[in-house]
Amino acid sequence: MHIPDGYLSPATCAVLYGGAAPFWYVSLRKIRRRLHTRVIPLLSVFSAFSFVIMMFNLPLPGGTTGHAVGMGVTTVVLGPWGSILAISVALTIQAFFFGDGGITALGANCFNMAIVGSLVTYVVYRSIAGRSPLTSRRRMFSAAIAAYVAINTAALFAAVEFGIQPLLFKDAMGAPLYAPYPLSVAIPAMMIGHLTFAGAAEAIITGGIVAYLQRSDASLLAPFSGMAAEGAVTDARTPILGRLWAGLAALMLLTPLGVLAVGTAWGEWSVKDFADAASRERIAAASQHRALPAGVPEGLHRLSSAWTAPFPDYAPQFIKSEPFGYMLSAMFGVGLILAVLWLGRKFLLRGGNTP
Amino acid sequence: MNPSDATVFEITGLSYHYGKVPALNDLSLKIEHGERIALLGANGSGKSTLLHILDALAFGEKGEVKFRGAALTPQGMDDESFAYDFRRRVGMVFQNPDVQLFNPTVFDEVAFGPLQMGWTHDKVNEAATRALEGMEIAHLRDRAPHHLSGGEKKRVAIASVLVLDPEVVLLDEPTVTLDPKSQSQVIDLLVGWKSGAKTVITATHQLELVDAIADKCFIMQKGQIVATGTPAEILSDGDLLLRTNLVHSHRHTHDGVTHSHPHIHGTGGHSHTH
Amino acid sequence: MSQHGFLSGSIAAFTHALQHALESEELARSDGWLQRLNPRVKLVGLLALIVATAASRKLSVVLLIFAVALVMAMASRVQWKTLLTRVWLPVLGFTGVIAVPAIFLTPGEVFWRSPFGGVHVTHAGLRAAAMLVSRVETAATLSTLLILCTPWTHVLKALRSLHVPVEIVAILMMTHRYVYLLIETANEMFVARQSRMVGRLDAAAQRRVATRTGGVLLGKTVQLGEEVHLAMQARGFRGDVRLLDEFRMAARDYAALALLLGITAAALYVGH
Repeated sequence: MHIPDGYLSPATCAVLYGGAAPFWYVSLRKIRRRLHTRVIPLLSVFSAFSFVIMMFNLPLPGGTTGHAVGMGVTTVVLGPWGSILAISVALTIQAFFFGDGGITALGANCFNMAIVGSLVTYVVYRSIAGRSPLTSRRRMFSAAIAAYVAINTAALFAAVEFGIQPLLFKDAMGAPLYAPYPLSVAIPAMMIGHLTFAGAAEAIITGGIVAYLQRSDASLLAPFSGMAAEGAVTDARTPILGRLWAGLAALMLLTPLGVLAVGTAWGEWSVKDFADAASRERIAAASQHRALPAGVPEGLHRLSSAWTAPFPDYAPQFIKSEPFGYMLSAMFGVGLILAVLWLGRKFLLRGGNTP
Repeated sequence: MNPSDATVFEITGLSYHYGKVPALNDLSLKIEHGERIALLGANGSGKSTLLHILDALAFGEKGEVKFRGAALTPQGMDDESFAYDFRRRVGMVFQNPDVQLFNPTVFDEVAFGPLQMGWTHDKVNEAATRALEGMEIAHLRDRAPHHLSGGEKKRVAIASVLVLDPEVVLLDEPTVTLDPKSQSQVIDLLVGWKSGAKTVITATHQLELVDAIADKCFIMQKGQIVATGTPAEILSDGDLLLRTNLVHSHRHTHDGVTHSHPHIHGTGGHSHTH
Repeated sequence: MSQHGFLSGSIAAFTHALQHALESEELARSDGWLQRLNPRVKLVGLLALIVATAASRKLSVVLLIFAVALVMAMASRVQWKTLLTRVWLPVLGFTGVIAVPAIFLTPGEVFWRSPFGGVHVTHAGLRAAAMLVSRVETAATLSTLLILCTPWTHVLKALRSLHVPVEIVAILMMTHRYVYLLIETANEMFVARQSRMVGRLDAAAQRRVATRTGGVLLGKTVQLGEEVHLAMQARGFRGDVRLLDEFRMAARDYAALALLLGITAAALYVGH
């Protein structure tokens, strides 16, 4: 999934670098506080480990082979913040030194694999593992499942990044300037490969290594397991928080169900609903057959032009596929709310220490 | 810290556990300035642990460890000036050179210690260059550690410690895994310190070296010192060596007879009558 | 892939990585135009050109930057063959596979009607494919030149001039150093396993080898991390990273920087 230079426009790359930066910043601060002088040696060797895992040629069902990123293992052992940094460092070395993945696209690759990958792994892992014992099979399965979900989420992000290129960046004659395939091609193309091969590889290596650790040194799994242990920074809130996140994610994925609804919700009519004969009939039917005003109510008309939403009807103009338009809007909306909440908390709670 | 205190290390009643496993058990010893000590013992006797504690990398739960009269404690090492002073005066060569070669090039590695001490870049360069020349590895200065042979790595590790000109050098199994030529170089170095310029403590299980590299031996078993003496005294006490698992007694043949008895390889043969 | 495929595949990947590193280090120390420049100049200049490559809307500009890259390669004694095997062919391989369908699938004015009904080559498709391949090739050539002509540690130390935190630079350096150790460890384990193989290893067994090696590697990683930490402390490390930075700027460096940034500016201006 390493995106090379040239597939994403500089604008996209810049946005993703910008998106990655706060996570890098937070990760470094948290990991410094936890590890002190051990940050440099521990993070370095784990990044090296992550790098080497990415080189493993894993045999998959069906006779093929695949590569894993290892985000499951690093998240379970180092926690989400350490994992974000370890994988980002490994990706940086791959990009600069080995030419695997672009340099302008490094922000995007880190965002997809290191950041989204680690955070999704952590949330799913903690939600499913709950308080199960360190050596339980449930814990191993939750790690494997978490890795599977995470790599596919990362792939989805990458696919969306690819897919919006031809819509947003075209030359004077309409030819795509960067990745040439729209969402309708990019998403299936990326997802098929990841739902099958890459996802399997990730699940196998994660489950396998976690199982091995459970036998050889289960204490390595303790710090981020959610089990209160001496010296571990485990937050009692986190399992619940994790479930909330998982629930939110599930809701986001279900938003396209809105496409199935016919017509417009009562009271949410727009100017054009009042002008169109068919919808006028529907409005009347839903309103106990009261008579409608002959034309568009004057107040409605005046105010309707006061504000033009960026994503009218939850369908960003450049997304041709409605379901994905819905999902993108959901993600965007949730992201916006979270950003506002986070900023508010930062300013109101000034300097509060949070795990 | 009193620099003229002739006792370099004084340990009383030291105990240390790895989790639940005891590694050192009520251990006491004294080491004077200029002595060359061999810490002998089979694997698992606690030699490495003791070296780590002498280098203030670990601290016992019970007992006292003093360097030149000053106690070595975690709180003591929090004091920056004390810590830097200690680190400059006591150096350790680890058993696994890969662990000690964590910088991208040989020169960077040797320069690491001086940089930590806060020396000027000129002084750092000068000291590092001299240390490289001293170990005859100046030609390796831009090499990356993974492109070095075992012997070269060991020389870099030693250079990176000697660059600070420490008065105490701790070595953990310095010749294990080295080829004969590299072993000789290390042994030559240890012999050269016979003059008493440095206090040297070498942990080893290789009895054949002891005579050359040390003037005094401590034998360790199960986290305690069970015997002390000069190399000659120790090497002649066959029972002791057998008891502490420092010699082997496999079957061998000479003079047409096949038998087994405790012996050490490489100490100039062992002839005896039957 | 045969039953040996997985082990051999991984071993091959490891060997390739080690080779790659060796080659890079050798070239970086030879004598050439790029080699003699200050690493900061190279980092900033070549990154700027990569950004110009990414930003350009005109194929001609991208190709021009490619030509500049070729000139620099020649001046630095980098052989065609090296660039061919390391960059041009691999990129053509995976980007070509992605770009070729675009020739047919991109909507637009038809350039050539294919005899197989429905699927035609469009102008837009050709342009898109050409742009993509040229961009990827050019950017990859530039970043490869940076690495081939600069010792890796210098590249990392030069990152400080881009305000990358010194801790991150230290981590990057140490990671790179230990990647080779871990590759060798994993390689040894795989080779040892391979030498004990008689007959086929079924897929499940292969996966077990992979995960067991991964697990052992993780254990060694943790141990290595702890020991390196001790070794660092033993030589006085208390948390501050101190780097030896000996880069001086000569007149030639300023001239080269001006040249590279000038080309970048021109490319951005014309290409937009």
